[in-house]
Amino acid sequence: MTNIRTKIAAVAFMLLAATPAFAGKGGSAALINSAIQSRSVDAIIAEVERAEGLNCGECVQLITNLTEDSRYEVREVAAWWFAKRPAMAKMLAEGFVQDLGSGNSLAVRNAADFLGATITFTSLPQLRSAITRTDLNADAKLALVRAVKVMAHIDGNFVLLTAMGDADASVRAAAVNAWREIRGQTSASPVVALLADSDATVRAEAATIVGAMLDATARPSLERLLATDTSPVVRRNAAWALGKLGQIGSRDVLYAATSDSSGLVRMTAKAALATLR
Amino acid sequence: MKNIKSIAIGAALVTAAGGMGCGGDDNNGPLGDVDALIVLQRPKRNDMGDIFQYTSYKAGARLVKLSPPTADGKLETLFPTPAQGTEFAAADVSGYDISFDAKTIVFSAKLADNQRYGLFVLTLDSGNVEQIPTDPGRDYVTPIFLPGDRIMFTTNSVVEAGAKQHMDEYERGTTLQLGRINLDGTGEELGPRNLSHRTFPTLVSDGRVMFTNWDHLGGMNAGHLLFVNQDMQELREGFGKEASGASNSTLKAQEISPGRFVAIATSRDRTIQSGALIDIRLGTPSTTDGVLSAARNMSEANASFSVLTPDVPRGREPSADTVGRYYDAYPLNAKEKPDLLVAWADGPVESSVLGAANLSADFGVYLYDSARQSRLPILNDPEMWDIFARPLQTRTAPPIVGSATDASLGGAALIGALNVYDSTMKDFTPGSIYGVRIIEGFSSEEGFPRMFGSTMFEGQAQLGLAKVASDGSWLAKVPANVPLAMQAIDNFGMSLLPEPVWFSARAGESRVCGGCHEDRVKTTTVDPGLTQAFAIGPTDARATALRNTRLSSLADLANSNLITTQNGKTIGDERLVGMAWDKALQPVFDAKCISCHDGTPSAANPTYSITTADGASVQWTFDLRGVKKPLIIDGMDLAGEWSASYFSIAGPDMEALERGNLMVSPEFKVYMEPQNARGSILIQKVNPTQLYPAPSATRAFPTSPHSSVGYPELTSTEFLKLILAADMGVNFYARENNPGVNTY
Repeated sequence: MTNIRTKIAAVAFMLLAATPAFAGKGGSAALINSAIQSRSVDAIIAEVERAEGLNCGECVQLITNLTEDSRYEVREVAAWWFAKRPAMAKMLAEGFVQDLGSGNSLAVRNAADFLGATITFTSLPQLRSAITRTDLNADAKLALVRAVKVMAHIDGNFVLLTAMGDADASVRAAAVNAWREIRGQTSASPVVALLADSDATVRAEAATIVGAMLDATARPSLERLLATDTSPVVRRNAAWALGKLGQIGSRDVLYAATSDSSGLVRMTAKAALATLR
Repeated sequence: MKNIKSIAIGAALVTAAGGMGCGGDDNNGPLGDVDALIVLQRPKRNDMGDIFQYTSYKAGARLVKLSPPTADGKLETLFPTPAQGTEFAAADVSGYDISFDAKTIVFSAKLADNQRYGLFVLTLDSGNVEQIPTDPGRDYVTPIFLPGDRIMFTTNSVVEAGAKQHMDEYERGTTLQLGRINLDGTGEELGPRNLSHRTFPTLVSDGRVMFTNWDHLGGMNAGHLLFVNQDMQELREGFGKEASGASNSTLKAQEISPGRFVAIATSRDRTIQSGALIDIRLGTPSTTDGVLSAARNMSEANASFSVLTPDVPRGREPSADTVGRYYDAYPLNAKEKPDLLVAWADGPVESSVLGAANLSADFGVYLYDSARQSRLPILNDPEMWDIFARPLQTRTAPPIVGSATDASLGGAALIGALNVYDSTMKDFTPGSIYGVRIIEGFSSEEGFPRMFGSTMFEGQAQLGLAKVASDGSWLAKVPANVPLAMQAIDNFGMSLLPEPVWFSARAGESRVCGGCHEDRVKTTTVDPGLTQAFAIGPTDARATALRNTRLSSLADLANSNLITTQNGKTIGDERLVGMAWDKALQPVFDAKCISCHDGTPSAANPTYSITTADGASVQWTFDLRGVKKPLIIDGMDLAGEWSASYFSIAGPDMEALERGNLMVSPEFKVYMEPQNARGSILIQKVNPTQLYPAPSATRAFPTSPHSSVGYPELTSTEFLKLILAADMGVNFYARENNPGVNTY
């Protein structure tokens, strides 16, 4: 880092330059507002990123509004902007934590995304409580799962376990997907049961997780999926997982899969055969 | 409205290219011996602003063959086709490569929004597509063929068991790293990790692989070209460092001839991964039979470049109409001014301008005559990005280039230098270097908030200190696959020269350099067996310690007398790993400083006024206590959640002051300068005593120490903690105060 005199001189030069909108990072409230008016996600992200270090009171309200935008990417970059201002992020987090308990689905979705993207670990108790609410829609639950995935804290496991039993398949799939992203996660056993899920996306995610986490108890289920599942993505993931487990007992089903009808599966099965021991 | 704008830009393209004629039937032209081109067509988008964006997905991409390679050539879709299966119907394809025998194509594709990018092989004769097995939960992109039936790629899959992939704090993305796999799907290997992204590998005729490495360590933020062997060992600089670059980032390099490359020069972000075309010459240029190459004396220090598209911006400002930006380029010959297949888009190719206008860049394929700086249109579907055009023809496979590995390292790596005094970056006084500090880097993936402090440095841990032998050599065993930085340090433990980038090595790899950034032009024969360090043996810098054990104990951090002597030598210093501000530094301030420096305005505690453009003013008084004190300007708390001591010493976020047009009076003193303990006011003030080889009363600076006028003296341990905090980035967070390991 250069010293402050050099830096201020550089700023003075920057301010004198004719193209403040695109010189260096030079963001401004006006540019953010213009991007918001355009409704373009990329423009909004670009201008909020440019204001990363900007001391800008006018920006605060604009970006606070973005934490309630309908698009996740916009909410995420808004939260990131606040994360760069820890005291302000903490202040906003207090309000969002309240929303987890008493807000409607939309408020919970926005709150969870803010708390996740700002990595507010202190909200984990409220996230755990919120996932048990019966009045939330799938969007809100997906946001709760997303928040836990971003934080990757093991104290978020309850959220994922609860979400794995949700009626909505997208929530179950997201929870399974997030499971191995948690730091210190050692067992995939809660995921094994979801190899029999009614939804193909959930089964595919579950196969990936049990393979990546080397859960040998999943082998019979994986072999069944490889042999019989109608989804080529599920069969592919099952073959890959069996290759990770590397158990010789999977040889026959893997061999059969080398002539699977889908190009997703055949080479995966062949490569898995090479790992058996 | 969107369609009208797109058509308008398309019309402008035709106008700009008008009158250039069609050279497709000219057999002597640059495409005269090319029967067909392969082109990737991706649906237009505007979510790929920064150069490391790799997750963008939009269904409907195609790999097509254009035969002959002219504007009126026949276009045939190679992938996806109905015969290949319905599972491919909604694929997006992000990159590809043609095999040496031109019979197969490897490509990266994502089949649905809820899947990840994987690798696929397309056999051109049959049209058959097979997926190469990779972790279905991770992305695998930018594949290239290697000799020996291998594929190299970049991936966010993690080489280190149990660890999370590094995060890039600027772009908020999970980083990509290099890997390789056999063409039959076996033998996947993941390379050692950079702390930020690695992307766009390209195979070079000498057998090495060149790629773009995002170098981010404190003030360094740039994408440079680096080389590795095909086994991802022997990382070497290629182009762009030491102010040799043409722009902030250099990417998508393609070899023109030995030692010569065409690449995109651009800003890191907002430019849709496109920019100006540059002709890079790594060595001394020479021409034989019309082929200009630059393979003699190849070195980053000898590298030069020429800009092939002078009007195209190399920063992130919007490009002008008719100027546009280039997405990629492929050389068709090696003339002084080469002919290139390029992807180019007109107008303001800058994501925020395009986004605000609800437009997307419209890349089309052109033949670019760099001598005349003219483009001949070949293919432009206005709804697609037509990119990565490549001749469908055979090419010579380079040799298989590998490196030796040393199984005796037990999964660790060996690093070192023959003579640290051999450096182009600094003239060291003989005997001034005591040792080399080895620092590990990590990022928020371990459970930290979005920043480690106000200085924008990544998380750091001191792994060890390798003593320099009398011949200037040193060796250390270090953890493999971990981002490392080195600092030459003096007898006081202060950095004399920090290496401004992260590097890493594979398990079993030996990376011994000539010096401490030695002259890149000179030939260095590296034979570590001839050095004293080799005879002594390497220092163990936590080479096999698990990641979660590479930290200090809290008891050690609290112990002001941790450092002692044994047999006349300093011991205990190696137990200081991370400098968590509240655990390591605050106890020093509490014990020795806050009786005076308590935030009460006085000569000991200067007060600063910070004034906004509209005249509002707030004060900050120097304070070394561990309390939190707000400093609210324009509704924002600059001191944030940091302790008063941290804010007083690290200073405010300078960028916030600069961009907020704030006036500070008197000039805000930054008491600790990141990576520069020796130049830091605080360190100079306390004037540490000598630490190595054994503690002594000798002072680092000729000035009187703070303690000489009745203030408390610091212990050797306390001196070193302050020094380490400065030299490791003046962070607030380290593993020792990681909020991610607490229970919530």
